[in-house]
Amino acid sequence: MKARKVLGVVAGAAILGLALQGCSSDGSSGGSSPEAVDGTGKTLNVLIAANTLYPTEQKAWFDDVSAKFEKETGAKVAFETFASANDELTKIQTSVLSGQGPDVYSLGTTFTPTAYSTGAFVKLGDKQWDQVGGRDRFVPATLGIAGPDKDNEIAVPLSSRPFVLAYNTELLAAAGIDKPADSWDGLAEQAKQLTTGDQYGMAVAYADSFDPWKFIWGMSLQAGNPLVDDGKATLDDATTAAAYEAYFGWVTKDKIVDPASVGWKNAQAVAAFADGKAAFLPMTSATSRVTLDQSAVAGKYAYALLPLIPPGETKAPGDSIEAATIISGDNIVVANYSKNQDLAFALINMLTTPEQQKIYFDTFGEMPTNAEEAEAIQGDNELLAPIVDAAAKAVGTPFTGAWGDIQLALVNVVVQSIPALQSGSISDSEIESQIKTAQDAAQASLDRVK
Amino acid sequence: MLAPGGILMVLVIVIPVALALYISLVDLDQYTLRQWISAPFIGLQNYVEAATASPMFHAVGISVSFALIVEVITLPVGVAAALAAQNRFRGRAFVRSVFLIPYVLPAFVVGTVWRTMLQPNGVVNNLLDVVGIDGGLWLNGPQSYWALIAVQAWSSWPFFYLLVLSGLQSVDNEVHEAAAIDGAGWWTKLRYVIFPYLRGPVALALIISFLHNINSFTLPFVLFGVPAPTDVEVLPVLTYIASFQSFRFGLSAAMAVFSLVLIAIPLAIYLRAVKLDTGDEGPKR
Repeated sequence: MKARKVLGVVAGAAILGLALQGCSSDGSSGGSSPEAVDGTGKTLNVLIAANTLYPTEQKAWFDDVSAKFEKETGAKVAFETFASANDELTKIQTSVLSGQGPDVYSLGTTFTPTAYSTGAFVKLGDKQWDQVGGRDRFVPATLGIAGPDKDNEIAVPLSSRPFVLAYNTELLAAAGIDKPADSWDGLAEQAKQLTTGDQYGMAVAYADSFDPWKFIWGMSLQAGNPLVDDGKATLDDATTAAAYEAYFGWVTKDKIVDPASVGWKNAQAVAAFADGKAAFLPMTSATSRVTLDQSAVAGKYAYALLPLIPPGETKAPGDSIEAATIISGDNIVVANYSKNQDLAFALINMLTTPEQQKIYFDTFGEMPTNAEEAEAIQGDNELLAPIVDAAAKAVGTPFTGAWGDIQLALVNVVVQSIPALQSGSISDSEIESQIKTAQDAAQASLDRVK
Repeated sequence: MLAPGGILMVLVIVIPVALALYISLVDLDQYTLRQWISAPFIGLQNYVEAATASPMFHAVGISVSFALIVEVITLPVGVAAALAAQNRFRGRAFVRSVFLIPYVLPAFVVGTVWRTMLQPNGVVNNLLDVVGIDGGLWLNGPQSYWALIAVQAWSSWPFFYLLVLSGLQSVDNEVHEAAAIDGAGWWTKLRYVIFPYLRGPVALALIISFLHNINSFTLPFVLFGVPAPTDVEVLPVLTYIASFQSFRFGLSAAMAVFSLVLIAIPLAIYLRAVKLDTGDEGPKR
């Protein structure tokens, strides 16, 4: 905490202490190649998530980016990291409050609406889009959470981590299953076939702080319920109750998950799959590759899209929203108080070129948002092709400042239901009363939106 | 002469409390954070909401009862350990150091390790299985309250041990000799001669430990995460969720001020009562 405060003070001093040189780029030049920015002697401050899987590689990447940027514009890049989503929120709050801090923030996509609601970030007009190479440069689905609508965007997509299903090819082949089902009910049936002895059909992390809501969101949208409809929360719809019933049913009725998974966080679910103790690992991203390639299932696993047909149906209903995954990944935003905005956009331009996106992918395993590079990977890499496919079918979570609370409410239903799950059964009325609490909390939060 | 202390007190205590009071009277959330000085004034609405529409009283109940139970458990353990480590014996220095280990470990380390041990398939349940008991769920549900108490007691009993040990050092040698000459048995000596010397340190330890446990955030946060199961929704975690997850600074400031007042009242009474007793430094002759 102290180190971050010192860094913040130093960053603030660095910004304040620098005189504004005449930045040359102004007026849109029309085409997709932005004018050169002169940043000699300046330092651009960037806040980005600490990569726990590749810490040393990330440090090297920081140095590399700074060196390249200095060659291009004469300005250095100073990176500051946050360790978790909670730290990220706190950092945003303190910077917004004090009006000083990093120039550029790399935000998780689901936090973009919250950041937007503070009004502290630069809105992207034609000029800014030109500065970063134009909207056409990006995979269209990744732009879905850049802002509430096209005229009010604040975020440029930087990297993509769509959620998919990982499955054990060996176990499936042994059971005579060709590929995972495309419906949740079908997947549960396949998982039942694959549950024998101490091997379970699915590895699910019920006690994770983030995984559970994505299941409920996906299933609800696929049944036609967008969860937030024009300022009204629709968590109390029958589709959401059906989603929770299916999700809990894997433990209580179908018995296709390890009973201990009611206490698991995401890492433990991945570990169970990596040990070959589970056939399916739903709601995982390409970052699981690191663990899986070094485990007992190396070479015996593959990725596929999560089911698109909601529980209780055999084909997608008419008003279904084809939500394969949330738009997940990192967006990059520029703070309003920053005195180096043109420099900031020049950096964003650099980071979203096909070359830089390829380097990012090779170093960290995160999917590119640059359309050209995404296509290249889809062609080259058979393992990752389904993940690129998922990114193209990603749907954004509702763009509202209340989403943080709604997400918390959705997870809370699961947290308060865990004792019942552990005892072996949960009644529909219990689920209903928990959902009611969530609905009230979500609506209260939506009512407060200004 | 008072100026340096006074200035420090103003800076460190008065200004932040005044700010907290101010924030609790305005509608400060993510939408108004940027221009927080001009956030709309809503008077006591935050307090009303905290009292009626939030789990605040439930959280206060859990925090207070949890702090009291931990004290009741750790006091005899700490006193016994101090008595045991008081007299010279071989290996005393080693024993004294080992006694301190739970206390010096950082709270998040304690929380992380215990969370791993208390998993449904973890060490604790495996050991209980050996004895034939089904441990059940420790990190959620009704047992989570007792898990929190147990882990907090485990990590904080050395605090009592330390204070009582220092209190024991202040007992005069003549008193020990006098008790020996008069033929007092060990329990009589303990109860009527030694304990009166410990009143001061123990009272101090009780107050500090109570405050510390009521404000304990790291341990419940690491053990149970967010959102917290209702059985262990302690006040600091609730305030954290309201402010840093929901961005509702006005509401959480109201909760904080409310809890300050709630705790200050019994604390003031207790301090007043304790002051009356520490007039004596030992048993009356």
